[in-house]
Amino acid sequence: MHLRPESRGRDLSVMEGAPLLEARHVSFGYGSQPIFFDVCLQIAAGEMVGLLGPNGSGKTTLLRLLSGVLRPAQGEIWLQGRELERWRRRELARVVAVVPQELHMPFEFTVEQLVALGRFPFVGLLGSYGPQDRARIAEAMRVTGVDVLATRPFNELSGGERQRVLVAMALAQQPHLLLLDEPTAHLDIRYQIEVLELVQRLNREHGVTVLAAMHDLNLAARYFPRLILFQRGVVADGTPASVLEPRLLSRVYGIAVRVGIVRGTTHFSVVPPGSYEAQEAEEETEPREPSPRVLVMAGGGSGERVMRALADWHIPFLAGVLNIGDSDHTLALRLASRVLSEQPYAPISPAALAELRAALSTIDVLIICPMYVGPGNVTLLREALAAARQGRRVLLLAPEASESDSITVIPEAEAESAELSALLARTGIAQRDYTGGEATRLVEQLLQAGACLISRPIEALTLCAPELGSSRLG
Amino acid sequence: MASAKVVHLRRRLTPLVLAGLSVLLPLTLLAAVSAGSTAIPFGTVLQILLNGSHLFHFRQSWDPALAIIIWDLRLPEALGAALVGAGLAVAGVLFQGMLRNPLADPFLMGTSSGAALGAVIAFILPLDATYGLFFSLTPLLAFSGALLTVLLVYAIARVGGRTPVVTLLLAGVVMNALLVAVQTLILTLSPQAQFNLQALFNWLSGGISVNSWWPVMIVGAIMVAGVGGALVLGQVLDAFALGEEGAAHLGLRVEWYKFLLIMLGSLLTAAAVSISGLIGFVGLVTPHMLRLLIGPRHRPLIAASALGGASFLTLADLLARTVIAPAVLPVGVFTALIGAPFFLYLLRQSKKEYRWS
Repeated sequence: MHLRPESRGRDLSVMEGAPLLEARHVSFGYGSQPIFFDVCLQIAAGEMVGLLGPNGSGKTTLLRLLSGVLRPAQGEIWLQGRELERWRRRELARVVAVVPQELHMPFEFTVEQLVALGRFPFVGLLGSYGPQDRARIAEAMRVTGVDVLATRPFNELSGGERQRVLVAMALAQQPHLLLLDEPTAHLDIRYQIEVLELVQRLNREHGVTVLAAMHDLNLAARYFPRLILFQRGVVADGTPASVLEPRLLSRVYGIAVRVGIVRGTTHFSVVPPGSYEAQEAEEETEPREPSPRVLVMAGGGSGERVMRALADWHIPFLAGVLNIGDSDHTLALRLASRVLSEQPYAPISPAALAELRAALSTIDVLIICPMYVGPGNVTLLREALAAARQGRRVLLLAPEASESDSITVIPEAEAESAELSALLARTGIAQRDYTGGEATRLVEQLLQAGACLISRPIEALTLCAPELGSSRLG
Repeated sequence: MASAKVVHLRRRLTPLVLAGLSVLLPLTLLAAVSAGSTAIPFGTVLQILLNGSHLFHFRQSWDPALAIIIWDLRLPEALGAALVGAGLAVAGVLFQGMLRNPLADPFLMGTSSGAALGAVIAFILPLDATYGLFFSLTPLLAFSGALLTVLLVYAIARVGGRTPVVTLLLAGVVMNALLVAVQTLILTLSPQAQFNLQALFNWLSGGISVNSWWPVMIVGAIMVAGVGGALVLGQVLDAFALGEEGAAHLGLRVEWYKFLLIMLGSLLTAAAVSISGLIGFVGLVTPHMLRLLIGPRHRPLIAASALGGASFLTLADLLARTVIAPAVLPVGVFTALIGAPFFLYLLRQSKKEYRWS
């Protein structure tokens, strides 16, 4: 009844402590189109993890990277304490098995013949199937319940049966790690449950570690003790209760939802607002937060300090416009009330600009982080200047590294009375200006229009506590 | 189309079909050697052949010319046909399996136009006639033309360490068009072509042209090695049926095996084409038909296709020589006349959409 031989079990216990699978700062893109940056995640042996995210969020790409079919552009993937690139393909196939979304099979292989293919990594080119291989094949078919279909052609099976055959084939590989790419995507609800029950059983009874991309949030909540919410980066990672958070989901999926425990069930449900269940579930959701009075302009990691600080102080804020895939975008999805988004690496479009203008008209304080400014995002500074001239409070955050320098070079007292150029130097904009001088001019104009230069996020609090609505702060 | 019953039947049928084909092939060869402008009785053929082995010593009761006809004309030609049939059929299995499409054929990658161009060049060069080379130049140039074309197509389609199937097919199509254009250009410009046009036409429409043992032995060695290699790669083809990514997940180095399969298939095709010209449908229909009989597993399928393709082409060659004797029809015409309607019938019969993927 053990799918994996005993010796392998011992291997695992030796490795305890180190994660089974680990992605370290992985970045990837197809051609020049970036998909995601700097993804880190760890999966321990024996876990059952659901990977969530909207269409196009990069879930499938992440799975292809983790299965070794694609190579990361940057970063590393480690499996059982060894970098994935240093595994030989055949060795890898004895540890990791992949169940695809569906299989288009051009020839009329029977179920048994297909499941037998799962032994390929063990049998190889010239070898033949021994009694042990036969036993594994029979075992894999029995566990998945496809033994009764053994002689049926694969192409004539129902969707659920096919999916079970694919799982059986993966099982014949005796994998430590099973990767599934939306295994229930094309199935009726009955088969969805059937397949997930099977995967759960494999995880619990046979100790197979599972990572499955899922599109159905409710099924994911029901079957996976740990969920990873993915949107061109890991947005959230934890229990269903912590990941299926309405604010997170509405930001990532772009639609308002309610989350809660519907009466009569034991797991979390995600429902659209306005439905009967939503009314019931509402008690579980967080109280409505006040509408944000702050907007953060950032990019390339420059916004991290400010956004974390604001979140720590429970000050709701907007963030944007940020490019999808930017590390600030991923962080903002987690922390901000709303994120104004633009396509990866794309310049700010008219649509995003209109959204930004609407957002600027509702806020009181604008914080501009020390981001790089190029032709694509210089619009942000133009809009900031317009907002400053309309009386919005604009705070320019000085870059972290130059903080100490600037203080030694220009004493505080002197800086306040010093001429504009000294202040401008402290913003460090000249070093981040890739627009041929326009950004520097805009920052200068911002300072003339009354923008304040701050060197630490906490100064934002002291400068404009009333506007920030920080009544909660003592 | 196939139910569990059919599958069950196939499992029992596989050894039967293989055994049947192993018997059929020698019989067709015997028939091919015995039939012709001078019909030779089976018994005489057998006795002459067995005497040739120097193990038997039947008393000669036949016209000595018959022995010469058999040894120098009919047997090389029959064996040549069998080798070409086996090579094309196995190449068909390789390409169909690698491309995951039962409609693929051995000429997809530009082998046919490459071989044709090589042949055309051989036909217009006066070397053959003037210097009386040891080998005829045509098979040599056809063989090299086919292989060079495939290598070129593969090199063109290779981008960033990968060779996507679609790119490969498109490169093949474009290369085909280009080489046909070059071929036409040469034919139009060369006055020499006027003389050999008929011979060239015969070559292009396919006909086994073997007049000595050397080409048969060389092609035979290539075919044996090629079919052996294909049998080894049978498991790989099974895995390829899952798609390239699926095969990679089973531990295969997909790009390497794709290269190997293309080269092996092209080697078989080029060797076949070098002594037969362009013969269509053997490589397409034989694997298809045998897949219906014994199922898709590639190792048995390759063995059966080698035997089946050999029998089919030997028979077709025999018919081509005898149907309107003394005139000889090009075999290619014959295989197409049998193959195309049969194939259309199969297509209509199995109401399944075939698609690239």
